[in-house]
Amino acid sequence: MLIELKGVHKTYDNGQPLHVLKGIDLSIEKGEFVSIMGASGSGKSTLLNILGILDNYDEGEYHLAGKLIKNLTEREGATYRNQMIGFVFQSFNLIGFKTAVENVELPLFYQGVNRHRRHEAAMAYLEKMGLTDWASHYPNEMSGGQKQRVAIARALITHPEIILADEPTGALDSKTSVEVMELLTRLNREDGVTIIVVTHESGVANCADKIVHIKDGLIEKIEDNRQHHSSVFGTTTIMK
Amino acid sequence: MRDLLQEIWESLRRNKMRTCLTGLAVAWGIFMLIVLLGAGNGLLNAFLNDGDSFASNTMMVGGGVTSKPYDGLKQGRRIRITDKDIDILRQPRFADKVDLVSTSLSRSGYTMTYGRRYFNNVSLNGTLPGDVEMNRVQMLAGRFINDRDIAEKRKVIIITHLHAKNFLSGDTDYDKLLGQRVKVGNLSFTIVGVRHAEENRDDRSLYVPYTAVKAIFGLGDEVDDITFSFHGLTTEAESDAFENQVRTAFATAHRAAPDDRRAIWVWNRFSQNLQMEKAKGILITALWIIGLFTLVSGVVGVSNIMLITVKERTHEFGIRKALGARPGSILKLIVTESILITAFFGYIGMLLGMVACRILDATVGQSKVEMFGQSIKMLDNPTVGIGTALGATIVLIIAGTLAGIFPASQAARVKPIEALRAE
Repeated sequence: MLIELKGVHKTYDNGQPLHVLKGIDLSIEKGEFVSIMGASGSGKSTLLNILGILDNYDEGEYHLAGKLIKNLTEREGATYRNQMIGFVFQSFNLIGFKTAVENVELPLFYQGVNRHRRHEAAMAYLEKMGLTDWASHYPNEMSGGQKQRVAIARALITHPEIILADEPTGALDSKTSVEVMELLTRLNREDGVTIIVVTHESGVANCADKIVHIKDGLIEKIEDNRQHHSSVFGTTTIMK
Repeated sequence: MRDLLQEIWESLRRNKMRTCLTGLAVAWGIFMLIVLLGAGNGLLNAFLNDGDSFASNTMMVGGGVTSKPYDGLKQGRRIRITDKDIDILRQPRFADKVDLVSTSLSRSGYTMTYGRRYFNNVSLNGTLPGDVEMNRVQMLAGRFINDRDIAEKRKVIIITHLHAKNFLSGDTDYDKLLGQRVKVGNLSFTIVGVRHAEENRDDRSLYVPYTAVKAIFGLGDEVDDITFSFHGLTTEAESDAFENQVRTAFATAHRAAPDDRRAIWVWNRFSQNLQMEKAKGILITALWIIGLFTLVSGVVGVSNIMLITVKERTHEFGIRKALGARPGSILKLIVTESILITAFFGYIGMLLGMVACRILDATVGQSKVEMFGQSIKMLDNPTVGIGTALGATIVLIIAGTLAGIFPASQAARVKPIEALRAE
């Protein structure tokens, strides 16, 4: 089991306690393509934060690749994030004053990889994304789809255990959205990358083989979607 | 390191105007510090320049008038110091501390003639060989008075280079004058040495052997004063205690009250020098403090701007943390940026400050004012040394670190979750 959550609880305490996750049990195996769906306020973002070691939880256990992720120091958290998780964000989160290739290099920089090897690896991933010509461009010179592909290259460069994508198409038009989802699907199919996509769009969720529905802090159901019939708008489009 | 510098360069490049304005405050602070210290040094050099004109480990003893009755003698009695009193300093209790002893006996109001050139109102200063060291006499040619001169009461003379130049019509080959004869009053002396004289001080006396003056003028054994050098004293308290011992010994010999400061006066150049050093230290410290306070405003400015930068970059730091940046690496980034800004602009300020010191040296430093009948330089060499520059560098690095540490800890505390927050 790559990811194993057992009875995970999370309560926010901003004035009055807000019980967001009320006992999540979830297992994800290596090579799976899973989407986590839920309305806003359902707790899916909190779950993503915990999966991504961006936030801690109060009760239960979370094992990632055999390691218990609990009560980590900031340093440990940073190291685990760096080595095991690749993030793809809704708003791309590229650093504006760095070129595409510099952005892709960044996780390796924090691993202490030397500049030459870092650059080579980043160029290889950009090539894979079809962005070789854009390597020295700044994010504001690129389209949304290009930016997200740079972000995916950045997520992949450390060979993480999982790719965590938070609304990866949220800022893209429908055509680009399809392209990005196709790219993620291909990475899963061809390279065996484990991908978890958090979304509220059924078309996006439909790309995954397994859909986890979250409602009111609990897993409502886990849907087997290997047939990709989940979307009400058809299987090949993403309704915006 | 190169990566770190590149990151900082990128960050600074985006905020050129802001960085420069902030840097200006730092540059100004260091500029003020350097100029203040330079001017302070100049002032000290100008006022304390007679500090090197005599050895500081000396005391001068002279006779005065008793201020109180003692030993059956009434007050108001004049104390005459004689050359016999030199023996007091050779007593066992002083012998281990006292090194050289000299005395002086001067007579003034003579005219010195060399060929057709002459000087009016010159004074003859009868002295002993030890004077060359104690009064730091700088010989430019020939020699000082020696023991044979004293023993044989030779009529030899040491003139100043100002006299010598005049005699040689501006030439400075003083050796030509050695062995030549000059007339002082109606006596003939042989020139054996030429010494340096401070031009801006009234220092024109002609050194001759003490015994010669005594014999020529048929004087008794009374002398003007006795000067001696000593060793083995370090603190002001020790020096003052020694001074009192000396006074008591002289007073006892002359039947004056041991604590009568007017009967026997002692010029303790050692204590005076220590006090002067202390005053100098206090002045320099005060200047540093003023300079540092000026710098504080610059440092606060840098800190402030760094805080704003950190605030603006919160999202970016969140992204970096999500990608695996450790708190330490972000701390290092901000502190280094702060140090670089402070050091870069600090050095500009330091450079300008040193230029300003040079300008000060070239203008005010060359002008003189008339004071107490002497012309005194307002500022003498108003510059700072390499030590001050090094000190200022250390100050800059500390200042930069201080300015950066708070914003940096703010930056390091940014939660990686900030990355998820849309901008």
